[in-house]
Order: sequence, then structure tokens, then C-alpha cells
Amino acid sequence: MAEARITYHGVGKRYGKLWALRKVDCAFHAGEVVMLIGPNASGKTTLIKSLLGLVSPTEGHITVNGQVIGSDPAYRKAIGYMPQISQFPATLTIGQLLEMMADIRELRADEVEDSLVEELGLSAQLDKRLSTLSGGTKQKVSAVLALRSRPNILVMDEPTAGLDPVSSQRVLQRAAAVRDAGGTVLITSHLMEEVESLADRVAYLEDGNLKFLLPVQEILSSTGSTRLSEALPRMLESNALSHVL
Amino acid sequence: MLKVFKYTLIDLARNRFVLGYALLMLLVAQGLFALEGDPTKALLSLVQVVMALVPLIALVFTVVYMYDTLEFTQLLAVQPMRRSAILGGQLLALAAALLLAQAIGLGLPLLVHSPTVAALVLSLSGSALVLVFAALGALIALKQREKARGVGVALAIWFLFVLVYDALLMWGMFTLSDHPIEPFVVPLAGINPIDLARIMVMLQVDLAAMMGYSGAIYKNFFGSVGGTIVAALILSLWVAVPVLFAFRVFRRKDL
Repeated sequence: MAEARITYHGVGKRYGKLWALRKVDCAFHAGEVVMLIGPNASGKTTLIKSLLGLVSPTEGHITVNGQVIGSDPAYRKAIGYMPQISQFPATLTIGQLLEMMADIRELRADEVEDSLVEELGLSAQLDKRLSTLSGGTKQKVSAVLALRSRPNILVMDEPTAGLDPVSSQRVLQRAAAVRDAGGTVLITSHLMEEVESLADRVAYLEDGNLKFLLPVQEILSSTGSTRLSEALPRMLESNALSHVL
Repeated sequence: MLKVFKYTLIDLARNRFVLGYALLMLLVAQGLFALEGDPTKALLSLVQVVMALVPLIALVFTVVYMYDTLEFTQLLAVQPMRRSAILGGQLLALAAALLLAQAIGLGLPLLVHSPTVAALVLSLSGSALVLVFAALGALIALKQREKARGVGVALAIWFLFVLVYDALLMWGMFTLSDHPIEPFVVPLAGINPIDLARIMVMLQVDLAAMMGYSGAIYKNFFGSVGGTIVAALILSLWVAVPVLFAFRVFRRKDL
């Protein structure tokens, strides 16, 4: 397997008395898509937020490309993030928002990948104010923002929520392209059917604990299933992989 | 920071609330000058309106704006830029937008109807109050997780500064009128930025004499160059301290 791009070393996060994440040790590699799944409040969001610098771990540390992440934001230049909820300055237009984020990231014209703007049907709407957009269109804008800087770490939180099937497919294809180019993709999703064909490994979290991080093939073969959406519930019920749970 | 400032200002310049604020101040100021025959009387009425309205609007608008843009702030925090740059840009833009709205809504009528030193001091005092209460609003929004609670705290603080503090001060001065309270009158006035701003304007309209013995004390201290400098320093502290705390909170905040 390729060298670890992102490594969690004993990462824990406490909010008051509640441990949202407990001593997570794992590594995500270059050239893979990892699907993060688990029930509500299992720690998925905290896991990705700690990578993105949105929350500071209570214990442990995270390394990205061998460097421990801390107060220096430079490592985030390699990261593209598509949040679950897209909210933007109301009176800016789509074009102004794209310009703003490119400006903030100091992207040169040759560093910007804008073909997704056309693919998602946003080219004709660049002069529209963000406050007038539907939820689905805002998600498309969010996808463009995450992908246009050609990140080599892509984090997507429920990327297909609110998107039409064609746009969902296009966004997931772009995620696959990031993986194929050697990037690391982390996706959280409740719609397993949509992302299971993309995932190389699955990380299951429960109650702040990382229960397992396994290749898709191993999960399927251990449960005799052909689809992740069938395999995972079977596995969790039957303890088919009790040696890792 | 300048990039965040630029685009946040563009967004705020088109914000209905900011435009409405400019219009409201314009209507109030114009209305008062139109109703009162004497520009000085109109100015005095305007002082009371400004001292109550400006802090309220700056506080509540800042609090609400920061809550409403929280998800976008999270998106900015994921970019390769320091949190201080994000907050600095946002606060500068908020201050600039409110000051610009006030300059149009309040400054223009003052310039047209009463181009006096008193009007200038009123404009400057009003601007200082915008900065003070925008800074406090930012700190409140960052400290309180929930929007409803944040707005509640903001309104409570406004109420405290505009009404409660003065009521307590007057009660104290009345109760202790037989005691030598003069050394405490000036510092106590300085604690409340609204009172301080009001005193600076009243001194220009030469109403200190009408304010009784405390007015004479204010004139004696704040009427001098040194007193004016002290007043400016106190108002600057009222801006700087909340802003510094806001930066500290934001740097460590879980978003």
C-alpha cells in the first residue's frame, strides 16, 4: 500500500464531559477513497473536523504528509473540503465567490480546474446571487469550490445530499479522479449505494471509537455479500469480523 | 485578511439591514432638523437618539451577522489562512460598513443643517460607539454557541449601558449627595462608553452648566485637551479589549 498521507496518532476529542472521539489510530493513504460510516454522533464529523483544523484534538496528534498539523495553516492548501451544509455570503454572486476563494488560496489561472463548472450547469449562473440559489445548486457550488484547486486530499461530508442523480454521479467521478491521480479522498455518506462502488476502504465509527478500517473486498468476502449496503449490517449483526471489532 | 475584508465588505454593502440603517438614520436626522426650527435643539434631540440607537444596531447587527455567517466562516477556516486573518477581515468589514452607513445617514444631515464643532463631535462619538458595540457584539457571538442566547445577551448589555447604569449612577449620586463623591463622578462616567460619548457632545453644546454640579466636574475634566485625550483613550480601550478577547476566543474555538 502507498505511504500514509494522513495519520491519526491516538487522537481523542472531548466536548465538556463527552468524548466525541476516543484514541483513534489510523492512516489514510495516497490513491485511495475511504468511506467513513457510522450512526449519528459516532464521531465521523469530529474525525474530519480535526483533520481540517476546525477542532483541536484533546489528545494525540495528526500528521499530514509527515508533518504534525498545528497552528500553521499551510497544510490546508492541499485540502479540498465539501461540507454538508453550504452557506455563503448572501449578496455575492457565484462568480464572485469563486474569485474570492481562488484569491484566498492564491491560485494561479493554470492551477484552477473549472471544467466542473460547465459540467454541473453553473456557467450560465455565474452572475446569480448566492442567496437566490436552491439548496442543490449551492451544493454544486460547494463541489466546485472543493475540486477546482486540484486538491490531493479531498474531504466530502455527505457530498450527494441535495444533488440530482446526474450531478451526484459527476461529483463522485471527480472524487474518483482525485484518487486516480494519487490523492486521498475521505467521504462520509448515509447513501451507501451511491458511494460503495467508489470506496477502497471503509472506516466504521461508533461512540467515538474507530471499530474497523478495512478494505471493501475483505468486508464483502467475510459476509458473502456483493454489496456494501448488505455486507455492513450483516457484519455488524453477526460479528463476522469479531477479531477487529 | 484584506481579501476577506474586501469580499465581506462587498457583501455587506448590499446588505438590506445596512442600507436600512443608513436610511433610518437619514430619516431620523432629517426629520428632527425639519421639525425643530433651532438646529441646536435638533442636535440635542439627535444626541439622545444616537446614544440609544447606534449601540443597539451595532450590537445586534454584528451578533446576528456573525451567527448567520458561521458556516461560511467554517469554510474560510478550512482554507490555508490563519483564523486571525478571517476574524480581522470580517470585523474590519463590519465596522467599515456600519461607519459608512452612519456617515451617510447621520453625517450628511449634520453637514447640511448644522456644520458645527458639536456636530463633528457627535459624528465622531457616534462612530466610536459603532466600533465599541461592534467589538462587543463580535465577542458575544463568539462566546455564545446559540444565536438566541447571543442576541439576548446583546440586548441585556445594551439595556445595561443605556438605562440601568445611568439609573444606578443617579441613585448613587442622590443617596450619597451629602458625601464627597466628586472624585468618583468622572471615573464612573468613563466606565460607560455611552455616557462618555454623550458628555463629549454636551460639552460642545455648552450644556454642562445645566447638568448641575456633575456637569461642572465633567466640563472641568473632559473639557480640557487632556480630558479629551483621556476620553479618546478610554473609548479606544472599549474597542481594543473586546477585540483582543474576540481574537483569543476565535483562535481556540471549535468550529
